Amino acid sequence: MSSPNVITTCLPASGSNVHKVELPENALVLSPTRQLQSLLTIIRDEKTQRTSDRIIRLLVEEGLNHLPVIDKKVTTPTGQVYNGVAFQGRICGVSIMRAGEAMEAGLRDCCRSVRIGKDEETYQPKLFYAKLPDDIAKRYVLLLDPMLATGGSCIKAIEVLLEHGVEEEKILFLNLIASPEGIQKVCTRFPKLRIITAWVDEGLDSNSYIVPGLGDFGDR
Amino acid sequence: MSAHNPDHLHPAVRPQLQSRTISPKSKNMVMASHGRAPWYSPDGKNVEAYVIGIAGGSASGKTSVARAILSALNYVPTVLILSQDSFYCAHTPEQIQTAFNNDFDFDHPDAIDTPLFVKCLLDLKQGKATEIPIYSFVHHQRMPEKKYIYGASVIIVEGIMALQSPELRALYDLKVFVNCDSDLMLARRIKRDVSERGRDVNGILDQYLRFVKNSYDNFVQPSSRHADIIVPGSSNQLAIELLVTHVKRQLDTRSLRFRRMLAETGEEKSKARSRSSTLLNDESEDGNVVLLEQTNQLLGIMTILRDRTTDRGEFIFHADRLSTIVVEKALSLIPCQSKTVRTPTGIDYEGLARDDRLVGISILRSGGPFSHGLRRVIRDVPIGAMLIQSDPRTGEPLLLKSDLPSSIKSRETSGEVKVLLLDSQMGTGAAALMAIRVLLDHGIKQLNIIFLTYLITQPAIHSVHRAFPNVKIVTASIDPELIEMHLPFNPDSLQLGEVAGEADFAVQTIENSSSINEKVDENEDENDLRSAIKNENELSSNHFKINVKDTEELKFSRSTSKNNENEKRAWIISPGMGHIGDRYYIS
Repeated sequence: MSSPNVITTCLPASGSNVHKVELPENALVLSPTRQLQSLLTIIRDEKTQRTSDRIIRLLVEEGLNHLPVIDKKVTTPTGQVYNGVAFQGRICGVSIMRAGEAMEAGLRDCCRSVRIGKDEETYQPKLFYAKLPDDIAKRYVLLLDPMLATGGSCIKAIEVLLEHGVEEEKILFLNLIASPEGIQKVCTRFPKLRIITAWVDEGLDSNSYIVPGLGDFGDR
Repeated sequence: MSAHNPDHLHPAVRPQLQSRTISPKSKNMVMASHGRAPWYSPDGKNVEAYVIGIAGGSASGKTSVARAILSALNYVPTVLILSQDSFYCAHTPEQIQTAFNNDFDFDHPDAIDTPLFVKCLLDLKQGKATEIPIYSFVHHQRMPEKKYIYGASVIIVEGIMALQSPELRALYDLKVFVNCDSDLMLARRIKRDVSERGRDVNGILDQYLRFVKNSYDNFVQPSSRHADIIVPGSSNQLAIELLVTHVKRQLDTRSLRFRRMLAETGEEKSKARSRSSTLLNDESEDGNVVLLEQTNQLLGIMTILRDRTTDRGEFIFHADRLSTIVVEKALSLIPCQSKTVRTPTGIDYEGLARDDRLVGISILRSGGPFSHGLRRVIRDVPIGAMLIQSDPRTGEPLLLKSDLPSSIKSRETSGEVKVLLLDSQMGTGAAALMAIRVLLDHGIKQLNIIFLTYLITQPAIHSVHRAFPNVKIVTASIDPELIEMHLPFNPDSLQLGEVAGEADFAVQTIENSSSINEKVDENEDENDLRSAIKNENELSSNHFKINVKDTEELKFSRSTSKNNENEKRAWIISPGMGHIGDRYYIS
């Protein structure tokens, strides 16, 4: 593990670090398109103030694709029949405070009238506050947290959800940048849960920050 | 100019067909009428504009002849009068001084920047956009600004030296010389120069004897031998009538029946292919057609959008969501430059940066919903608009208005601009072809154009790629069929609702050269026009009615067969998703 004061060599942008990390089966990484890389470049830049909703929207769209659909026939305005599909199962977004709240706008862009609950965590994984919808046990849960470092707070949040009766396979964890360690830890602990992340970074430094990472998401 | 918001055009400007305001002072002008029919063949090549050159002595009545022709061609979409006065050379300070002393010879062929004149006229003749210089008679100098001109199907060039240069003569389809009595010309000239150009009589007479007379005898009068027809400078109605009849006949041979040709040629070819490619999936990014991955969510969104029972709120939400997905996909096709940034953890990251020479152009109205999606993705992208709608009877596309970002209007930058062309569905591809042609006319490269849409038909893919093989298309769905429909339509109250609609007729005068004060006048004219329009709107409630006679006149050149009279023709995508603009904007 590199010391925090030493600047390591530049990481290649071609997405090669995605492929050299062995990922568990229930973890999914967005394809490293040029646009995704340029977006990550923007949010990683220490000069950037406003974070972009775009990656979050891409994550949500990818996450929603894991929800089931049923066949549905509709009539188009031209009077023709179209064999389509309808969404099945209700969803609920749960953001891990504070950083996860930044992802709520992106979720609302993709899902109409989505219920959003709160789940407060800190650096030391200890539950401060949980405000979850009453019928959460019947819903699919999109758990939002932009950074997955050690996985401590994420695991705590998932435990809270399970206590509220949510089924493990109905939890989708949406994440912006993950460390390989964090992914391993969460996926091993909850094998039926699915992780969707935009990027897997190099690793963690001695302060448990993701490198190269993007700093404290909530603060920014 | 009005601050124009492309998304809220619908109940907009609808002046009467008869109202035509022509500023008495400006010499360059564009008259735009009910919209511009295709000026290119189905293979995407431009049909050249018809160019008329009018020469004659100073104050012989060239401008009046030009305007008479313009008024007689009132059904031609866009007629441009281009004045030689705009093309006086840029002067040195010494020349300006001699000009203020009335010592400068403006009537010599060398005073005119012929190479620039030829270049601009050639661009216009080939249907390209151009920027003409602005010359001020008050300052005796070419002004730093330029005037952007695009899209005339008839160009009238007038000036004393219009028939002088062989390069210019080669560009004319018809050459006219206006012949007038010398003393009549002098009388008119004194009157005009005193009142409009602020000269005194002695200066004018002095200039006349020293330069104008010589020039007329040595250059202008001899150039009349190049003319096809010589028109008298006064009492010339009959001559103009003859001229106009000739021009009409010439234009007639160039008119095209367009959308039908597209639908037919596209169908034949796609039938052969449809067997093998009924299911284009995400893997087969067939050359330049990119179909989005058909995920469950995408199919679900399409189902909601196609369902005719979907309410408007739901429709808007999912249309916005779908446009966001399509835009994201299209952006992933655009190359990026590498960029290294320092992360807050203090480490350098070698990443990529987006190309910032990106603009969006939405084809109104059905492209309107798309611009919301684009704004969501890139907040500060410049978005322009083109209003293209169908002629209700022939189904041919008409270009009614184009409002393009400055980076496209300027030839210096347009070569590198990347354009996202937005339209929610493409049936025959006729509107898309027209929009792409407009972009190419501005010097945009085919490779830099990406067409974004929710829904496209096989015939449309075919006709677009036959004309413009390098344009990329990103679509959420491909429908197999295109059905020709004849919808009932009442000729007594031709309602342009769905197909035409806004800005059907607009007269626009280009403020030229002469003075800055003139600009103020123009604005006043515009305000008058606008308030006149308002009144008109109030009178005729929501529906725009054109009386039959006018429509017939619009149609002069197209042979409309009798049995089609009570129907309008439309091509409908099947299964399709209805009229997206209506479903998005109108509940």
